[in-house]
Amino acid sequence: MIVLGIESATDLVGAALHREGETVAEVCETGGRRHAEVLAPAIAEVLGRAGVTLGELDAIAVDVGPGLFTGLRVGVATAKGIAQALGTGLVGCTSLETLAAAALDGGWAGPVLAVVDARRGEVFAARYGRGPTGVPVALSTPVRCRPEGIAALVDGATGTLALGDGAVRYRELLADQAGVTLADGTHAHPSPATLASLGARRLAAGAPPLAAIDLQAQYMRGADARINWVRRESVGPADA
Amino acid sequence: MRVLGIETSCDETAAAVVGPGRVVLSSVVSSQVDLHARYGGVVPELAGRAHLERLTPVIDEALAAAGPAGHPPVDAVAATCGPGLVGSLLVGLSHAKALAMAWEVPFVGVNHLEGHLFASLLDHRELDWPLVVLLVSGGHTVLVLVEGLGRYRLLGQTLDDAAGEAFDKVARYLGLGYPGGPAIDRVARDGDGRAFAFPRAMRDEGCDFSFSGLKTAVVRSVDKAPGASTEDVAASFQEAVVDVLVAKARRAAATTGARGICLAGGVAANSLLRSRTEEACAEDGIAALVPSMAMCTDNAAMIAAAGQWRLAHGGPSPWSLGAEPNLFLAEAG
Ligand SMILES: [Zn+2]
Repeated sequence: MIVLGIESATDLVGAALHREGETVAEVCETGGRRHAEVLAPAIAEVLGRAGVTLGELDAIAVDVGPGLFTGLRVGVATAKGIAQALGTGLVGCTSLETLAAAALDGGWAGPVLAVVDARRGEVFAARYGRGPTGVPVALSTPVRCRPEGIAALVDGATGTLALGDGAVRYRELLADQAGVTLADGTHAHPSPATLASLGARRLAAGAPPLAAIDLQAQYMRGADARINWVRRESVGPADA
Repeated sequence: MRVLGIETSCDETAAAVVGPGRVVLSSVVSSQVDLHARYGGVVPELAGRAHLERLTPVIDEALAAAGPAGHPPVDAVAATCGPGLVGSLLVGLSHAKALAMAWEVPFVGVNHLEGHLFASLLDHRELDWPLVVLLVSGGHTVLVLVEGLGRYRLLGQTLDDAAGEAFDKVARYLGLGYPGGPAIDRVARDGDGRAFAFPRAMRDEGCDFSFSGLKTAVVRSVDKAPGASTEDVAASFQEAVVDVLVAKARRAAATTGARGICLAGGVAANSLLRSRTEEACAEDGIAALVPSMAMCTDNAAMIAAAGQWRLAHGGPSPWSLGAEPNLFLAEAG
């Protein structure tokens, strides 16, 4: 099975190609906030390196959020475009479960607390455990909350690994938490390679691939209803 | 060459297929007006979300309506890359790149303003250059001298509000709803355009515009005369806007030796602007190019047509092309 991973829901943007259980190529960039400028060339690059065409893909895994609104739309629109052109199946994974998958794949045995920075003083968070096929299963419903609220999600569980850019930003709050270990900075963002691998495993386990029209972004926050009168000077949504 | 055009710069989700000879094979526009009406203006994040949900079915419809096609169904994909709302532009741009990459056809980014210029080419097959184009919409008010395709000279633009924005703000103040342009146009028919002498900022000097003082003047007049008829206020406001727009376009045409005045953009749907432009051009012995209603509003046929020309004259855009929310017309040529 050949799966393309498309990641652009946080500050990290890139693509990876997963073939028969292995990452064949991965290209990503962090911190530039140039999601659209980076993503399409990254896809062309991983395809070129792997010697694979889009027509040979079995599926595309894409991060549907939560994260940066504008960023995640770049990834979801790109995935929809390829799927619409070629009829390729899509599998949407959330940023939180992709973060958790990286920790579990890296050998962490206990529960994982994935925390994505939601800006404006909030985080998106959920706790995950290892499912039967090694993929993450949610132990708590993903929520948007104040950083102080993360503690309640740990709920006395021991040996919880906290990771994600939200965990990095609010590390002081988590450091005092009994039973919580902070991941090192390597897992601060969901990665395209983990995403592609997670998508491949989901499909192998029988998850039905989605058509372009059926894939939906998960914002986990209502739209900021402010009118933009001066469009020439527009900067887009508040988190962009 | 068959080109798929995609437009998502503001509040219309649109896709169209234009064939050889600039023939419009299909043009689908999904308007978000209902979505933004309760806010009285375009809410950027709502627009971005709606584009992402609607674009796939809109493209499906445009491709199906364009008639039988091989694989790939088009020879190129064009998308608006600016100016506009960045969170909206990026949806169309990303989707367009992905389609082009998957079909292995060229992709080209199109300046939305240049798209509006091509809209008149879809209405009028032959144009006699040079032309003065008055592009007036909710986001733009510019006066451009078009010497030929791709050869533009910016003569002037608004220093504050766009003309369409002034319509929206005044309509909101008068309680006429959103979008303001059609609402004021409708109400003004029963009013006296000379009832109030609203200011005509910079009417007789230069090619730049200013509309922010006009809204303030409307508010002040209504405060002073609370019993004034809404119809008269709307008609006088419309009269003031159209008077300035036409006077400036007319003078620009005279000083540049233009063969005609071409209207473009959403405000070009205004009935008074259309009739006054035709009258002025008839008096001056130049052509009045008034667009069809479908070509006034944002659509993707104009983007596909501009993209077709851009591809032939500048080649495809790189995969790394980003959205340019502040793109100006000069940068297109
Ligand atoms: Zn427009």
